Amino acid sequence: MKNIKATVIGAIAALGLGAGAATAEDFPNRPITMIIPLGAGGSHDLNARVITSVLPGILGQPVVVQLMPGAGGQTGTAAAAQAQPDGYTLLFTHNFIDQLQQHVTNLPYDPNEDFEAVARVNTAQPILVVREDSPFETFEDLVAYGQENPGDLTFGHSGNWGAFMVPGLALLNEVGVDANLVPYQGGGPVIQALLAGDLDFTFAFPSVLAGQPLRPLLVVGEEEILDGIPTTAQLGYEVVTDIGVMHRSVLAPAGVPEDRMQILRDAFAGLNDDGTYNALMGRLGENTLHVDGPEYDAMRRNQAQRYQELVASF
Amino acid sequence: MIEMILDAAQMLIRLDVILIIAAGLTLGMLVGALPGFTTVMAMAIVLPISFFMDPILGIPFLIGVYKGGIFGGSIPAILVNIPGTGASVATTLDGPAMTRNGQSRKALEIALIASAVGDFLSSFGTILVIGIIAMVALMIGPPEISAILILSLLIIVVSSSGVFAKGFLMLLIGMFLAMIGQDPIGAMPRFDFGFHPLQAGIDLLPLIIGLFAIPEILLAIERRKSNVVDARQMRPEGERLTWAEIMSCRRTILRSTALGGVIGVIPGVGQVVAAFMGYSAAKNASATPERFGKGEINGVAAPEAANNAVNGPTMVPLLTLGIPGDNITAIMLGAFVAQGLRPGPQLFQDQGVLLYAILLSMLVACVLLLVIGYLLIPLFARVVGINKAYLVPMMLLFAVAGTYVYRSNPMDLYFMIAFGIFGYGCRKLHFDVTPLVMGFILAAPLEYAIGQTVLLSRGDLAGYLVSSRPITVTVLVLMPILIFWIARRQRRQNRHVEAAGR
Repeated sequence: MKNIKATVIGAIAALGLGAGAATAEDFPNRPITMIIPLGAGGSHDLNARVITSVLPGILGQPVVVQLMPGAGGQTGTAAAAQAQPDGYTLLFTHNFIDQLQQHVTNLPYDPNEDFEAVARVNTAQPILVVREDSPFETFEDLVAYGQENPGDLTFGHSGNWGAFMVPGLALLNEVGVDANLVPYQGGGPVIQALLAGDLDFTFAFPSVLAGQPLRPLLVVGEEEILDGIPTTAQLGYEVVTDIGVMHRSVLAPAGVPEDRMQILRDAFAGLNDDGTYNALMGRLGENTLHVDGPEYDAMRRNQAQRYQELVASF
Repeated sequence: MIEMILDAAQMLIRLDVILIIAAGLTLGMLVGALPGFTTVMAMAIVLPISFFMDPILGIPFLIGVYKGGIFGGSIPAILVNIPGTGASVATTLDGPAMTRNGQSRKALEIALIASAVGDFLSSFGTILVIGIIAMVALMIGPPEISAILILSLLIIVVSSSGVFAKGFLMLLIGMFLAMIGQDPIGAMPRFDFGFHPLQAGIDLLPLIIGLFAIPEILLAIERRKSNVVDARQMRPEGERLTWAEIMSCRRTILRSTALGGVIGVIPGVGQVVAAFMGYSAAKNASATPERFGKGEINGVAAPEAANNAVNGPTMVPLLTLGIPGDNITAIMLGAFVAQGLRPGPQLFQDQGVLLYAILLSMLVACVLLLVIGYLLIPLFARVVGINKAYLVPMMLLFAVAGTYVYRSNPMDLYFMIAFGIFGYGCRKLHFDVTPLVMGFILAAPLEYAIGQTVLLSRGDLAGYLVSSRPITVTVLVLMPILIFWIARRQRRQNRHVEAAGR
């Protein structure tokens, strides 16, 4: 029923955008399923709703979102790994589920053997934040205090080995600060806890920051997205710059025929030329920094290596 | 502020706004009534549609789906004893009993009125004191959540019907089942016997569909009657609700609304806790508590008013701070930002009128819910009139399909069947499964909150609570007194009933 509904909506979207021309060897000729190994309402769900309302216009077929949450993303990823490699099942995931979990738990699949990247869709750069009335004016203040008082800073994150714990842990390692880590269930509760005064610092994505009584101290990654706030790249924190950014990516089970893979990769590259896609992503506060599949596969192998080192250090 | 509210009201009084809310409500109600389809799913699917609408249309549309979906979830709970969500589990205590007594229409109507009134009053109160709620919401952290969850578990045990030891045992089984999987703080797998599918834990939906629907189906087959309700009646859905009956639930609805409004500041589990607290409170206050569980109309009104009264306060952190507390508010946040509106303190200054219009649309949605529900109820109520030869296979189909469609995991079907057999055994041996479900729902957040509290306290738990957690300390101190009082009342009522029985 859910699928039917999504299909109908997808079909309406496809009609509305002028159904794309049928491709040479008739792929795709039926709806494509995109598994999300996360729950409804999260940032992946929202991103996917934008993607699936635009992609049918390029592929000429509806794209159906299938949410399969469970076990920190393993349930959905395992299902995608077992799917037929015919190009009709894709996985919309992120680097922490994709490449980190193999180092912290036993997986029923091998992320690098069982999957190939279609595209990296976009990135989300975490921003280290404190309360507006915090005594820490700069990132140096925070580090200096943390070094003098080991274990005294409380760092709240959005869940184990998730989008905020990983950059936090990598950063704490690099500056040599020992903090008290407290997990929360998602990015919303952790900001609420920071505002309530239960935490000293946490991270937030840019879309959360506006209008809040928060003070950003440091941006993870290379892009300078906030005026006057240093990035980890500028401060020379190489590891966290490399692995602390969330990459939202679309993967396919390994073994999809080359020509079909190319159609899919071109379709995702084509999203960036679509005005509606760019406008909607912009409104959600997301970037559209697309990277093509083969290039992202190389990045994934690098991530795997770095995560192994990070987990070993914890 | 008054001026802003008046301007906002003018913005709302438009035919297209009313129609879009009505469409959302109808859609939400139909989806919510199907087991396995959650309100969150329905909202996520219609979200992209709202991207392309005017903000004053798109967001009220989602609010309509939300409110319709919550009420829709109560429909199968009342008619066929299949609660679609944790929030409607408490409704199964008296709802299906009313249906068996040939009062399905009456049960649906009181559920509708209680839901709409509870929701309306809580939304109205929220608009008036939004600033205060925002402040209180910030004071609720892991220690407070732990204390309130412990209190609700105790209330569930002392006020459950039947033998105390049985209820307590079921609660413990439920809490144990919730621990299978990964531990919430360290993410270490436990109780999975090295079996990978168990590592993901057991999901609520296969558990409740299994425990409630399967025994219901098996018992219906056993009864060897051709209809769920006696077929000799001309109208199997029974008579309609009378004004006197509505008035008799007046106190219950108001009490539940107050309880739900207060509990609404707890993110995530607010609805489930509120529904049970509302039910317990109504039973405690009743002059005839022995009728609860046997089709008491107040027993349907109480949880329905309470779980809907949670809706107003839940929106507050979203609107004032831009922080979503659960998945539903996360989708609302998506809808806001896609419209270029970033909820937070700034938005109230820049777009005050629009924001009040959205708040007022919550009130309009409550009123429309009454109208649409009133029109659709006769349709739903007639379900129980279907010949059993068709109804029972249909229930089985919905139970299986609903379990699978939720997250397309075949393991869920095995769990559902296993819980079905277990639930059937429980019914035969007179074990109430409700404490099990409550233990299951509340154990995970409780464990999480306690783990967070211990981490926040850095080893000095008592010192941390006394020095910086006044609300937690207050709840913990009042807890034994409250529990003792409820238990004593309960015992006295039981003695009354026994005396009357002799």
